[in-house]
Amino acid sequence: MSSADWKNFEPVLIPNTKDLHKIDVYQKNGGYGALKEVLTDKKKWEGPKDVVNEVKAANIRGRGGAGFNAGLKWSFMPPADGKPRYLACNGDESEPGTFKDRKIFEYNPHVFIEGALIAAYAMEITSIYVYIRGEYIDYIDMMQKAIDDAYEKGFIGKSIFGTDYSVEFYVHSGAGAYICGEETSMLESLEGKRGYPRVKPPFPAQKGLWGRPTTINNIETLAHVVSVINKGASWFSGIGAENHPGPVLYGISGHVNRPGVYELPSGVPVLDLIHDVAGGMRNGKELKAVIPGGSSTPVLRADQLDGVSMDSDSLREVGTMMGTAGMVIMDEDTDMVDVLWRIAHFYHHESCGQCTPCRDGTGWLEKILLKIKNGEGEIKDLDLLLDITTQMEGRTICALADAAAWPVRHTINRFRDEFEARCKKSVHAVA
Amino acid sequence: MTYEFDDNDLKKIEKIKAKYPEVMPATLPVLWLAQNKFGHVEPDVQRLVAHTLDLPEAHVHGVATFYTQYYKEKKGKHVLDVCTCLSCQLCGGYDMLNYIEDKLGIKAGETTDDGMFSVEEVECLGACGYAPMLQVTNGKYVNHLTEEKVDKLIETLKEGKDPEYEQIRMPLRKVN
Amino acid sequence: MPEVIIDGNQFEFDSDKDGSLLQFILDQGLEVPFFCYHPSMSVPANCRQCMVKVGTPVKDRETGEYELDDDGKRVIRWFPKMQTSCNTQLSDGMVVHTQETDKLVERAQKDTLEFILANHPLDCPICDQAGECPLQIQTYKYGPEGSRFEVKKVHKPKRVHLGPRVTLDAERCINCTRCVRFTDEISESKQLTIVQRGDKNYPVAAPGREFDDAYSMNTIDLCPVGALTSTDFRFKARVWEMNQTPSIDISNGKGTNIDLWTRDNLVLRITPRYNEDVNDYWMPDVSRNAYKMFNENRVSRPSQKLDNEQVQSSWNNAFATLAEQIEKTDNEKIVFVGSPHASVEENYLLMILSNLLAGSTPVFTPHIIDGAGDNFLLTDDQAPNTNGCRFLGLDELSKKDLSGKIKKAELVILLNDNLMGRDVLTAGDFKNAFFTMFATNNTVTSKEADLVIPITTAAEHAASYINVDKRIQRTVPAKETKYSNRRLDIEMSEGRLDRYGTSFDNWVTEENKVDCLPMWSITNELSDILGLNITYKNSRQIMSEIAEQSPAFSGVSFQAMDEQSGIDLTATKHTVKS
Repeated sequence: MSSADWKNFEPVLIPNTKDLHKIDVYQKNGGYGALKEVLTDKKKWEGPKDVVNEVKAANIRGRGGAGFNAGLKWSFMPPADGKPRYLACNGDESEPGTFKDRKIFEYNPHVFIEGALIAAYAMEITSIYVYIRGEYIDYIDMMQKAIDDAYEKGFIGKSIFGTDYSVEFYVHSGAGAYICGEETSMLESLEGKRGYPRVKPPFPAQKGLWGRPTTINNIETLAHVVSVINKGASWFSGIGAENHPGPVLYGISGHVNRPGVYELPSGVPVLDLIHDVAGGMRNGKELKAVIPGGSSTPVLRADQLDGVSMDSDSLREVGTMMGTAGMVIMDEDTDMVDVLWRIAHFYHHESCGQCTPCRDGTGWLEKILLKIKNGEGEIKDLDLLLDITTQMEGRTICALADAAAWPVRHTINRFRDEFEARCKKSVHAVA
Repeated sequence: MTYEFDDNDLKKIEKIKAKYPEVMPATLPVLWLAQNKFGHVEPDVQRLVAHTLDLPEAHVHGVATFYTQYYKEKKGKHVLDVCTCLSCQLCGGYDMLNYIEDKLGIKAGETTDDGMFSVEEVECLGACGYAPMLQVTNGKYVNHLTEEKVDKLIETLKEGKDPEYEQIRMPLRKVN
Repeated sequence: MPEVIIDGNQFEFDSDKDGSLLQFILDQGLEVPFFCYHPSMSVPANCRQCMVKVGTPVKDRETGEYELDDDGKRVIRWFPKMQTSCNTQLSDGMVVHTQETDKLVERAQKDTLEFILANHPLDCPICDQAGECPLQIQTYKYGPEGSRFEVKKVHKPKRVHLGPRVTLDAERCINCTRCVRFTDEISESKQLTIVQRGDKNYPVAAPGREFDDAYSMNTIDLCPVGALTSTDFRFKARVWEMNQTPSIDISNGKGTNIDLWTRDNLVLRITPRYNEDVNDYWMPDVSRNAYKMFNENRVSRPSQKLDNEQVQSSWNNAFATLAEQIEKTDNEKIVFVGSPHASVEENYLLMILSNLLAGSTPVFTPHIIDGAGDNFLLTDDQAPNTNGCRFLGLDELSKKDLSGKIKKAELVILLNDNLMGRDVLTAGDFKNAFFTMFATNNTVTSKEADLVIPITTAAEHAASYINVDKRIQRTVPAKETKYSNRRLDIEMSEGRLDRYGTSFDNWVTEENKVDCLPMWSITNELSDILGLNITYKNSRQIMSEIAEQSPAFSGVSFQAMDEQSGIDLTATKHTVKS
């Protein structure tokens, strides 16, 4: 189904079935059939490698923000050597604007569990850990219950479906740190330490949890694996945009009439999402700016949105990214300086403090923006801000410094007039 | 006062330790257990966790201070974490925060004199479509805040009742 | 041999030994600035200062040959981002550009320094680290001119009593985590951690606990800024006022290599010196506090007992008295007692005197406290030269036997061992004897002596010591005595104050120079009076003589010890006691 047909799309990830979180209902609707097929139908699935290839062909781009082909990531795992191997599922959804994985936890946890089990079989994993942010306490309980139900039915544990494949599944709760959404920081947090990201290389597939090969995937990414197995890689890659296929959970928030999470194919035009799906701007206001994929992605002005659709190629052309598809819509009354300051404050608060450019740079950015917000700033401060973002980008262990630098740089560049108007009139001539 | 784990707690801790191949990963879950039991993880509680798990005290201290959800000092009986980040800011999060501050007579980061309420300003809680919102004591989310809803929430909490879980359905797409 | 090209120059490397690019660059004598890297600990790569531009040559998959461009040079695939050289592993054909040849790398290093300095307080005028501060040096060489930071800096606790010997200034900390890694990996006490998150973080011990690790002061050396400073040394002296002299620790048997820092002939502090075979970069805290014994409570000028009270005497008197006692006592009643606390040369001189004057070998008893040592740098043996006495062939006696021997003697000549203070002898043991002691410090034993002759400490003479691992190492004089002169002794270092100070200004205090003589000088004097024909010019000459005469010391000389940072003598045989 191409992007143009999005209006006729039937949700696959979170269909409109009542009580789908109950394992009996899930099973009755065909649930755990994919897992059974992958494990027992040796004619169709000779071994784990076939599953990896199928998922690679489907091109599930990681839904956690980086957009890396999940199947390709799976193929980086070294061959099994009889010792533990891990799958860590990233449910630390802390990026501002993102609130989609909680829907999977609440309404269809078993599709994620089944997807994780299929992934675990494909990579010959011995234990699965799902890391859920500590604030989602209700969802942690729901997830634990779903996993207990699956254990009871024999879908997790020893000799699943009578085969020789066994795996354990554990829930681990975070405790309030955005940085723990970064994959190696999540591994450090799982190991019970402060969440400092690790230096790469060595990569998690070589040395992850406790020195063993580990793969990290987002919750939604793993949930998509089930439909790839059930309906085939070509079905999946035929949905939505060509280079970024499959259904996407859009989390639309901000100044719209119907904010919420919508499951639609990738590649839906941004303006359609705002005016059609989300019911248009609140109180009849005009659109001013859109952040397409969570606060780390550069903001777009309303006049830059013509012809832009929610897939990675289209967004990259206009100078932004897909991210988590957490869209934040801003109307004409929005003060961009306030918004930018608050974003800078968020990154300053969440920086782990391990490496120099991020630790000191995020604080510096916020303090200058506060000065500008309070009317004490000068034009040269704007150029200093742009300089600092160049100094922070690409120099750090993880991408939080980049994620902090991009909003500052692009918001100032794309709304320069508004920032300059907020600054004090300079006594000296500005060259 | 001295803090101790009773037999039930120790059994739970053993179950927690069984999930991991080493003992250090149990630091976070056991700190949660301690916080749920004692209401905070002050240095004495951290020491208890360190000795129970046989880990260095400095390590537990470093972990407890890194994560924001562990209360490093005694808070009020109900902690109101008000989100003011991005979407919540756009939809009036700061107005809600100011209203709560005025209503309870304290600023963000402080506790009321009767020890009932603490107010904190926090980062994104993952409920952006239902802004403005707050979280009650690391527990329930209260979404779509208005001044009336805040008033009712505070009354409910004062009566000793917990707020209900708010189920938010995924809105069915209206195709025009 | 695999090779790497740094700034256009080719270097060959050994793939077994050379791993880290930064360590290799430093080994070649080139410079790349860094803070968090330390050769003996794990590599966290979190200061981001050692940025370099790295590329690897492209190999054709099928032929295995390097791809060449139009000029015939190898095609280089550059890493998209600049890499931190500390955790980049060397590989054959790697091409590296440091700040010397690439403007972007220079800019990146400058930016990192700008970020570090953004929140760093302007404490240089009052900070102990000034003068030996890598942050100061690297900012001067590679850093930005002036500051663009015009907002408020982060404030953190200052002057924190982190432990009994270490003071923390959290604002100065750049979070390199060297101290935390030290307590995790080297001393394994795990007492430190970083607390808080982001730019509010700083290192601290667990709440309610002190940082009382037995090796805590090593973090002071490790800390690249003035965040961790020595409580004892705080504000005592500036680095450029002091002389730094290499020496050997004499507080226990490990023979840790140290540096003595002196100003105006007072030893102000001791820091460890790198020796990969003995102590790496570390030393225990108790050994650092030993500096006080070089300055305080020294025996200055000989003293003798008159009416059972010690009074100051003169050198001539002292030598005359000792010579008289020796001549009037029978040989079998003279006991020479050597000391594991004294150097090889001093014990050797005692042995010569003992052989010539009493026809016997000196005795000694080791100073060992069971359980005092750990597996690291503290040893049960509390003396630096027990093996030295053994190698020389002194008679090793137990405490009881020594005490019995002393009781029967009429003349006891003791070399610098506080035998009463360590419960080997009591005052009553000396009832029958004339007790002479060559001493450095006033102790309960020296107070008992009938004649006390002051000798030089390890800080004032060049001498060798053999440690528990049978390694012989030597000290260099750092402190002048009343009779030695820095300008005349080519081994003693001269600092600013020494070179430009005179006896008439405020920089020179004569009282700091102790009125004592090295043992060889005393031996020369005695030999003069007693007609023994011994003349030694310095310790170096004594060691050459020992090396010639004793197979246990073959190949040992001061020059060899300096070149090899000490000589391992486990292979040589001990002398048979004759």
